[in-house]
Amino acid sequence: MRASALYWRIQRRRNRGLTGLFLVVLAFLVLYVIQFPGLLTITGISKFTQNWFPLALVTMAQVILMLTGGISLAIGPLVSLGAVIAATTMTGTLGVGGGFLAVCAAGLGVGAAFGAIVTLVRLPAIVVTLAGSFIIAGAALLILERPGGSMPVWLSDLLAGNTPTALGLLVLILIGWKLYLKTPWGLGIYAAGENPVAAFRAGVPVHQVKIAAYAISGLLTALAGLFVAAQTGSGDPVIGTPLTLNSIAAAVLGGAGFLGGTGTMRGAILGSILLSVMINVMFFLGFDPMVQYVAQGLIIVGAVALPQMSRLWRRP
Amino acid sequence: MRKSYMAAASAACLMIGLAAEASAAANCVTGEREPPYTIGWANIYSVPTWMKQTEGTITAMIDELKAQGLVDELVITDAQGNANTQIQQIQSMIDADVDAIILIAGSATALDRVVADACAAGIAVVNFDSLVTTDQVTTKINTDSAKWGQQAAEWLIGQIGEEARIIVMNGPAGISVSDDRRNGATPVLEAHPGIEILTETHTDYNVAPAQEAMTSLLFTYPEIDGILSLGGALSAGAILAFERQGRDLVPMTGENARQFLELWKEHGLTSWATMQPNWLGAFATYTAVKALQGEDIPAFIEVPLPIITNDNLDEYLARADEFPADGYIYSDWSTALFDELLAQ
Repeated sequence: MRASALYWRIQRRRNRGLTGLFLVVLAFLVLYVIQFPGLLTITGISKFTQNWFPLALVTMAQVILMLTGGISLAIGPLVSLGAVIAATTMTGTLGVGGGFLAVCAAGLGVGAAFGAIVTLVRLPAIVVTLAGSFIIAGAALLILERPGGSMPVWLSDLLAGNTPTALGLLVLILIGWKLYLKTPWGLGIYAAGENPVAAFRAGVPVHQVKIAAYAISGLLTALAGLFVAAQTGSGDPVIGTPLTLNSIAAAVLGGAGFLGGTGTMRGAILGSILLSVMINVMFFLGFDPMVQYVAQGLIIVGAVALPQMSRLWRRP
Repeated sequence: MRKSYMAAASAACLMIGLAAEASAAANCVTGEREPPYTIGWANIYSVPTWMKQTEGTITAMIDELKAQGLVDELVITDAQGNANTQIQQIQSMIDADVDAIILIAGSATALDRVVADACAAGIAVVNFDSLVTTDQVTTKINTDSAKWGQQAAEWLIGQIGEEARIIVMNGPAGISVSDDRRNGATPVLEAHPGIEILTETHTDYNVAPAQEAMTSLLFTYPEIDGILSLGGALSAGAILAFERQGRDLVPMTGENARQFLELWKEHGLTSWATMQPNWLGAFATYTAVKALQGEDIPAFIEVPLPIITNDNLDEYLARADEFPADGYIYSDWSTALFDELLAQ
């Protein structure tokens, strides 16, 4: 009974900063539906979630790292790597199953390697992942020098056709994350990020928790690449590049902190939706591209500032 | 019973006839598309000067078409260099049911599926400059980068003779347009074994890095007979490097960058330049409207490279004031020229 009261108190605390963002996202979605009622059809919702899904995945991947006090500057290249591996293997000898395993192995392997270097060698995550980003970007170009490769058409249609498969996958991943947080390593993520020494003394296997978090983050990132390959029907060795910064922007929008221990998956979802829906809303509002640059910046600053301001108002 | 067979057969014949008639029109365009049309311009990145000038030709064309009552709205998107965003914006154009989409692709392959979706939705899709891989478009419009390299190499060898030492200046490594231009020059260079390539540079298409690269090469190579430059800013950088060191200029190729053309004139150089005409944007817009009006449009339109030599350099420089200082002085365009290109 008391344990569950504590659980809800923590949830409330984690939600506090998100109310403002939630309202902003809701307002944008309503605006979008008013402009484009077709969003509420199966095809409409499918297409929208497909375009948002890769950003949602990489934002979650970034938030997991930020929870442990880390960060990744290799998100974009790792998405590209996942995409080119998928596009070169799935229609080849490995087949869909083999290609899927190859993408997973690459993501888990790269993530775990980053995690091991960051925790065991004690190098800053920003340095390790920056250096890693060059290696991974090079590897993606070695696998596929120019845009090319192919994906099985049925897989493209399944993941990025007129069915909301992406939305379903996202729900499954969120359930998976909830379950992972119930395991000892999952429980340790917030603790290891907020105060590693205290967590270690309380018996949290800090190293293992962090390395596992990096591996999971790498897995999500590489799978985002697989999805992009399916969505586009091909591989492009530089397709992921802009996602590095976008994942950080969406994570911060969603309330993740750079110092570890703060952030939630629902925040990641909201932050990434906002970045994505913003593009569509500005299109339908007919904003000039130069105005869009300014508007985009204002919306992001506004969405970050709103919870801070509401905190100030609440204080007196 | 027999009667119904007959009816079915004649209906089938009629449908085949209709299908044949439909396929005679432009690819993708189906359904009721009545003027005035809404045109979507899906740009990959609006910031570079070349892109701004290209957009300028599109809006000029749109103004002309608006005056004729053929177009009522131009919707512009800027993907800020992100192919994923461009996919999303083209999807929004499909959702908004624009009549035509003109686009410069941010990825050779990534847009294939969304572009095919647009085509299937009966929207005229005209792709120019950076092309997609899929054939599910109304038409693709471009110049031939290989011919660029080939003609540049042929002109240079004509100037410097069979026995000469040259430097090749390229754009960034791994960029398809840079590769394509270089590959076009290769067979010409190989056919003249007396031409010795001292070295090659790979820099961004900007003056400063090209100048820096050429400056160090001038120290290394005391004798250079010609420069095969495959970009205008590169040529301008090379001239500035020669100038700083007081070296005599050698024949070199270039592009229609205003700075290069002005340096060319100022130094009384013998040179040759071509261009990726910015009016490809206006041409794509014009073609999209022609397709919507039911005209037959070829699946690929190759635009011949306009050439600048010492003979017509002054004609270009006479119009220099109309172009930004860091911009490109493109050849004149008119709808008459576009009709000619469509008829070829």
